[in-house]
Amino acid sequence: MMRQDRVALQFCGFGGQGIVLLSVVLGTAAVTRAGLYAVQTQSYGSEARGGECQAELILSKDPIRAPLIDRVDILVAMSQLALNRYLGRLRAGGTLIIDPELVQVPDRADVRILLVPATEIASRIGGRIAANMVMLGFLQGVMGVVSEEDLLDTIRDHVPHKYLELNLEAARQGIALARAQRVQGE
Amino acid sequence: MPQVPNRRVLTGTHFMLGNHAVVEGALAAGCDFFAGYPITPANEISEHMARRLPEVGGKFLQGEDELCSIFAVTGAALAGARAMTATASAGYNYMQEGLEYAIAAEIPCVIVDVQRCRGENFATQADVMQMRWGPSGDHEMIVLAPSSVQELFDTTIRAFNLAEKYRMPVIVMSETTIALMRERLVIPRPEEIEIVHRAKPSVPPEEFLPFQAGPDGVPPLPAFGEGYRVLYSLNPHDERGSIHWDPDVFEAMYRRITHKITTHYDDIVRTESFYLDDARIGVVAYGSECRSALEAVELARAKGIRAGMLKLATVWPVPEREIASLARQCATILAVEMNLGKYAREIERVACGTCQVVRVTKNRGVIHTPGEILEAIEAHA
Repeated sequence: MMRQDRVALQFCGFGGQGIVLLSVVLGTAAVTRAGLYAVQTQSYGSEARGGECQAELILSKDPIRAPLIDRVDILVAMSQLALNRYLGRLRAGGTLIIDPELVQVPDRADVRILLVPATEIASRIGGRIAANMVMLGFLQGVMGVVSEEDLLDTIRDHVPHKYLELNLEAARQGIALARAQRVQGE
Repeated sequence: MPQVPNRRVLTGTHFMLGNHAVVEGALAAGCDFFAGYPITPANEISEHMARRLPEVGGKFLQGEDELCSIFAVTGAALAGARAMTATASAGYNYMQEGLEYAIAAEIPCVIVDVQRCRGENFATQADVMQMRWGPSGDHEMIVLAPSSVQELFDTTIRAFNLAEKYRMPVIVMSETTIALMRERLVIPRPEEIEIVHRAKPSVPPEEFLPFQAGPDGVPPLPAFGEGYRVLYSLNPHDERGSIHWDPDVFEAMYRRITHKITTHYDDIVRTESFYLDDARIGVVAYGSECRSALEAVELARAKGIRAGMLKLATVWPVPEREIASLARQCATILAVEMNLGKYAREIERVACGTCQVVRVTKNRGVIHTPGEILEAIEAHA
């Protein structure tokens, strides 16, 4: 169960990384399996791949009034450009999750920075395209917002059959990494 | 294609896009025809309809433009369908001729207008007046303003029921903010959803006068092919449906098609009150702006300010009774909207000097923040 009453997340990267899917799967799991309220919004360039992409997700124990985020609690960055643009929104004391292959560790002493080699892990198990699911699994470990099984079931509802095993394994790796790093908090 | 009932109503809890919730609401309300022309930010409605309608035995048509779409909808409705189209601001411009026809010929249909800033997906409520006054001729309009994904679903069902009941085009006034947002949606069981059907003739074809109404002002509506002879024209027509330029005839027609709405205020107009019992400062909002407004009111209450909110779920007809009552109760009304001040004029008209009406406006592609509205409340507390 989520430890805070309300958490604001932002996911950013470039088109083709599955940034939006990441936010949708987490939101769906939270709403349909954990009984939470959630609001998800997104914006992306007109390019199918390569353009900037970001998604916002509010998770809350109570109904959400204004669907706006002024300060981000958890920022997940999967491209340097996107991190540069959105790092300023991350509140002091917040959590930054980055893929060190894609993003350099920024100079922010006031936030917790977690490194998740999502692309490397995904490549190792058969496809870097599943890096987003490594991030998703890791977030499950950080937030504890839904159970491991509920998260995997929600992924089953969202990913085409052909790529399902890769995506499930990527999420499991992310969950295991979070457990190994003993990260918890939001 | 045979109808599969359990695919019509997806009972359960979902995390759904606003535009998709419109489609699910329409299907739950029995929609079996959709025609539309692509335009952002309404495209997900057409796209989802194209996938979902065939599953329940309905028909989807991509029109070659907006005119085709609205007239296909009116034609389908007269043939007996529960029909709908969806568009966005610039596309809604093109539909006015079809709307005028649907109003004059009294054709039940639903139009979803996902308001946007011109050429972009920026959120706005700048078309709130156009929805009322777009088509020419003496007429009333029914325009409903949802503020969440759940309300998009519920409101679309209500729009179909009002359209069928009053033989009118009914507008669902959506906005980019809620249309492109995913949110919790609970879809009830089919038996929990109220479905209103249009009244059918109770007399044989030889005695039938197609525009003769009973006390409720709404003539029964046979479908094409049911044996009743009917002529539909937007020109002034008499009870037989014949075009008639006699001023007595056409004034009677305009009076009836407006009175059938104004005399059913209690059935059509819906508002919700929040913290209004002892309020001295009242926020009036509609659509997505209600969300920030309510948060602002709660922040103001926490500071000891007696603020409250009147949410307009129906924007047309104007909830005059509720606004007038608020004007008598409060020293100040804040008219909050995402445009440069449009609906505020209606509030000023209804308040008629009883209280101060302050316009809280914004047209920058994003809804007011709670902080901005709180600032306005504090400035007038």
